[in-house]
Amino acid sequence: MNRTRAQVLRMLALVPYLQDHDGIPVDRVAQEFGVRPKQIEEDLRLLMFTGVGEFPGELIDFDLTALEDDGIISIRDAEVLSRPLRLTTNEGAALIVALRTLRAAAGETQLPVIDAALAKLETAVNGAPGAGAAVDVHVGQVDSGTLRTLTQGLESGRRLEIEYATASRDDHTTRQVDPRRLFVEQGQHYLEAWCLLAEDLRFFRVDRITAARVTDHWAEQHESTPRSVSDGFFTVGPETPSAVLELRPHAHWIVEYYEAEVLETFERDDEQVLRVQVHGSDESWLRRLVLRNAGAARVVEPASLAQAVRDAAASGLAAYSGQ
Amino acid sequence: MNLIFTLLSTRQFLSKEQIRQSIADYRDSTQAAFERKFERDKEELRELGITVEMGSNDKFFEDEPGYRIPRDQAELPELDLTREEAAVVGLAAQVWEHSSLAGESTTALVKLKTAGVQVDPEGLRMAEPRIATTEPAFESMWEATTRRVPVTFTYEAPGRDAMLRHLQPWRMISWRGRWYVGGHDLDRGATRVFRLSRITDDVVHDGRPGSYEIPADADVASLARSLFPAEPDRSAVLLLRTGRAQSLRRTATTVVPEGDGFDRVEVPYSSTRDFASEIASYGPDVVAVEPAELRDLVVQRLEAALVPLHRGTTGQDPAATAEGAAS
Repeated sequence: MNRTRAQVLRMLALVPYLQDHDGIPVDRVAQEFGVRPKQIEEDLRLLMFTGVGEFPGELIDFDLTALEDDGIISIRDAEVLSRPLRLTTNEGAALIVALRTLRAAAGETQLPVIDAALAKLETAVNGAPGAGAAVDVHVGQVDSGTLRTLTQGLESGRRLEIEYATASRDDHTTRQVDPRRLFVEQGQHYLEAWCLLAEDLRFFRVDRITAARVTDHWAEQHESTPRSVSDGFFTVGPETPSAVLELRPHAHWIVEYYEAEVLETFERDDEQVLRVQVHGSDESWLRRLVLRNAGAARVVEPASLAQAVRDAAASGLAAYSGQ
Repeated sequence: MNLIFTLLSTRQFLSKEQIRQSIADYRDSTQAAFERKFERDKEELRELGITVEMGSNDKFFEDEPGYRIPRDQAELPELDLTREEAAVVGLAAQVWEHSSLAGESTTALVKLKTAGVQVDPEGLRMAEPRIATTEPAFESMWEATTRRVPVTFTYEAPGRDAMLRHLQPWRMISWRGRWYVGGHDLDRGATRVFRLSRITDDVVHDGRPGSYEIPADADVASLARSLFPAEPDRSAVLLLRTGRAQSLRRTATTVVPEGDGFDRVEVPYSSTRDFASEIASYGPDVVAVEPAELRDLVVQRLEAALVPLHRGTTGQDPAATAEGAAS
C-alpha cells in the first residue's frame, strides 16, 4: 500500500479517536497507532485543511496552545466523523487471516470464542467479503492433549514436567520447566519456558514434547535477559560449526533452504556443481545432512566430518551385510 | 478527505456541481480537470472500502444524479464483542510482523477501540502466532490476490533460467514461514504454484480488480496439498537403537524392545525415497528391515556416502528427486 493511502486511513481513524479521547498526549496517540509522534503532528496539520466546508466551524480545528505548550490534543468541529468508519477490505483481511491463523494454532476449547469473534468481525468489514479467504497460513499439527496440558500449566501458573526429544543431538530428556507463553513461528508451535535443567530460558518445539504433565509446584519468576523470539532460533556466530560441501544438482535446494553461502560454481561431468559453506548447530546435524543427501552432497572439509560420515555409513552398512 | 466529509455530511444527494462548488480544489480546476479529479477520488474511496451511493433526490423527476455516502453503511456497526472475543481480536492484531498489514491491523484495532470495544489480551493463554512476510514480492502479490488482479513477474527457480510469468493469482499460502501463490498460469494454461522468494523483480499488476473469476471447481485445496508432504499410506518395519532416532519414535505406531540394544518399530511413511534418506541420515542407529525396496534404497544411499570426493559421479543418483519445492 502506498504511503498516502496509509496516511488517509490513519487520519480517518484519528478523527473519531481524538473526539473520544479529548486532551490525550501526542505520544500516547502515536503509541496507539504504532507510528512516531512526528507523524501524528503531520497528520494533524493536514487535518486542519479538511472539513465539510471552508468557513470557520466547518474546518476541523485543534487547540493549538494546548498542542504546542503541553503536547496534548483537543479536536474541534469534527462531529461529521464521530464514529469510526468500517474496516477497509485490507484491514478486514489482515485481521481475518490473523484470526484464522490463531484458530489453526489454538486448542479445541478455544475454538468457540475465536469463531464468534470471526463472525462478528466479518460484519464490520466493508467491500468485498472473502478477501481474507484467499490467504491461508498453514500451522503444523501438534498433539491436542499436549497443547491442552501446556495451556493448563500457563493458566494455573504451575511448573510443568515435559519429556523432550532433541532433533539435532538426537537425545531424549525429562525436564522441569516454568512456562511463560506459547507461540507459533514459521508454522511451528513453541513453548517459551524457564528450563530448570539448563537454568536458562528455552524455546521448546511442541511437536517434540512427547509427554507433559502439570506438577503441584508453582512456577517461579526467573530473572533473565529478555530475548526476542528470533534469538531462540538458530543464529550463526563465529563459534558455529560449519562445513564446506560440494553439491550436485539434486542437492542444490540446500543452498536456498539452509541459506548456505555459495563459494564457487563449476561444471563437472556436464553438470553444475556448487561448492558451498553451510552452518549447523553441531557436527552431528551436519553429518546427518550429508548422509541424507549422500551421492548428491559430499564433504570437502573439515576432514573430521568427512570421516564421521564415512564411519557412520560403514557401520550402518555392516547391519545389512550377511543377510 | 474533503470529499468524504462533504458526502458524509449530507442526507440529500449532492449533484456534481454542488460538490464542485463546496470543495476549493475542485472549484479552482477547469471543468475537464475537475471531472478527472472527481473520478480519481471516487475510485480512491472505493479502494478504501467506502461506498459512494448514486441516486436522485426526487424519484418523480429525472434530475441529474447526485452522490452521497450513506452513514449506516460507512460507519462501523456495533460489534457487541464479549470480553474474551475482544481479547482474541487484540491478539490477532499482533500476528502480522513488520509488514504494512501490521499497520493495517493496528488501525483496525484503533477503530474497534474507538467504537467501544475493550481490548485486553493480557491474561489470555493461547498460542500466539506470528506471520512474517520477508519476501519483497509479498505486498504487491497480496493486493493482487485479494482483489483478483492478474500479475506479471520474473521467476527464477534454482538451476533454471529466469522467466517472465503471467498469473491469475487465486490463493496465497504460508507454509513453514515461506509464502507461495497458486493460480492459473497463463503461459502454461494450467494451475501452478510459485514460491514468492523466487520472484526476482517487481510484481506488476496487469489488469483491473476483479478481472477474472476463480473457477468454482478450482481445486485450490489440492494445489495447497502439493506443497505439503503426502499423508502416510504405507508402513515400514525398522530397528532403532535404544534411545536414538527420536523423530522416528514420535511417529511410530508400535515399539517392541528386541533386548539387544534395539527396538523393533513400525513407522508409517509416504515417499520411499524421502524416507530412505531419513533412515540413512541416522547411520548405524536405524536399520530398515522391510519393505525390501526401502531397504535397498537405504543401502544404496549409505554406499554412496562411502564414495570419496571427486569419484563416482556417474551412475544412478539415489537423491534423484529429493525435496524439490513447488514449481
